[in-house]
Amino acid sequence: MRSTDARSRLAMHSRPTWPALCGMLVLTLALAGCAGATARGAAPGGAYDPLEPVNRKVFWFNDKFDQYLLKPVATGWDWLLPGAVERSVRNFFDNLRFPVRATNDLLQVKLEHAAVDLGRFAVNTTVGAAGFFDPATTWGLERNNEDLGQTLGYYGCPAGPYLVLPIFGPSNPRDAIGLAGDSFIAVYPIFVPFVYTFSATVVDTVNSRALALTSVEEAKKASLDFYSAVRDAYTQRRQRLINDGAEAPTGNENELYFPDDGEPSGAPGVVVPPGAAPTGGNGQGGGAR
Amino acid sequence: MRRRWAPCVPGAALVLCALLVGQISFAAPGPREVIDETANQVLVVLRDKSLEKQQKIHRIEDIAYARFDFDTISRLVLARNWNSLSDSQQREFVKEFKEHLSVTYGRNVDSYSNEKVVIVSDREEARGDWTVKTKIIRSTGDDFQVDYRLRQKDADWKIIDVVIEGVSLIANFRSQFQDIISSGGIDHLITLLREKNAAGETIVENPKLKPKD
Repeated sequence: MRSTDARSRLAMHSRPTWPALCGMLVLTLALAGCAGATARGAAPGGAYDPLEPVNRKVFWFNDKFDQYLLKPVATGWDWLLPGAVERSVRNFFDNLRFPVRATNDLLQVKLEHAAVDLGRFAVNTTVGAAGFFDPATTWGLERNNEDLGQTLGYYGCPAGPYLVLPIFGPSNPRDAIGLAGDSFIAVYPIFVPFVYTFSATVVDTVNSRALALTSVEEAKKASLDFYSAVRDAYTQRRQRLINDGAEAPTGNENELYFPDDGEPSGAPGVVVPPGAAPTGGNGQGGGAR
Repeated sequence: MRRRWAPCVPGAALVLCALLVGQISFAAPGPREVIDETANQVLVVLRDKSLEKQQKIHRIEDIAYARFDFDTISRLVLARNWNSLSDSQQREFVKEFKEHLSVTYGRNVDSYSNEKVVIVSDREEARGDWTVKTKIIRSTGDDFQVDYRLRQKDADWKIIDVVIEGVSLIANFRSQFQDIISSGGIDHLITLLREKNAAGETIVENPKLKPKD
């Protein structure tokens, strides 16, 4: 998960600006685009991934990029710096992402969250020494995770097909638009010379990757097909973030926990290749409960 | 005589109270209690410095095997494919999948660094299932949410899914296994699991990848 975060963070640096106006514009444009799209859910239990062959190639490329460049650099970084410092660096960049979060809180009319995020920014920027520390969480102001992709999802924009973006990693058209929009909300490049913002992005990315060294390794070991494991984790996590972890039914729950319910009415289940299963194994549907 | 009996009085009172409350104290533990007990048992093992890594893994396996319903988990993970498996394939799959989970999660017993488990809430789900939400509190401040879904089997509540930060393990494995099954069939999946399990046991830990603190 953290690797996903790390990659999606690449484009989300921010300085306080006039975010709401820009965000509104992007939102209007994006929603207009979404309005034409028909809501397409994933196949039951499976992902909506018509571009899988291309996605797998990009995924492979990203993996090599990670293996030969990002991970070695991050390992060096990790060797140099204690974990506490890495977490402070993460806090610092996270604090700078305040405008993106606050804008999306407002766009979703989550006023309480907006107030909390504003409070967090105020506390952590001052008491937390420019954001390197996070006293706000200790004081009960817990971080909200919001971005434009979530805002679009909140208003019913479908995710569209799964996409693996080069370098940025797992995404979909909705979240990719969100990513672009969020970097627009953070119009920092206008005020800060490119070389600084670029260096900051590199540091943030390397640092995030360093913090995720163990968890990425574990995730790879735990999975049999890392590509589909990441795809599913990304899809599930985004859905959960859009729901804010609420108990809103995802529609897949029944399919997930009661898969034997009612035979599919033309729903695309998994096609077992002929001959893959012995014929003797069929016809025992009754024994499944 | 009197002195000998004195310490027993509070205990006897407690037993009496328990008897008066009757059924409640003798009923099987509810889902929340199951998670609470399981977490405590696991934490006791993880904190026990006198145990070797392998001993820890075995103890946690024992706890997990008693609390998880691997048959249901396997069936949910394979979804509709489950019914097209022969009995022996089903048994083989359950065995290898169980081992995969054990190998994967067992090797982390050494990285325990004083995490605590807090039960946040619990609620009833569709058709009698139950969800218990917990939070893992870490000394680094990076807390994360782990939800357990339980289903009653006979009288006992068994864990049938673990949802980490919104990612259901069942859904995640189902997605992976569907891809593998649709390209190579169930036997290919079982072979892959077997290979992975065999390799997993011989993996030498990279000390550089140990979590900090």
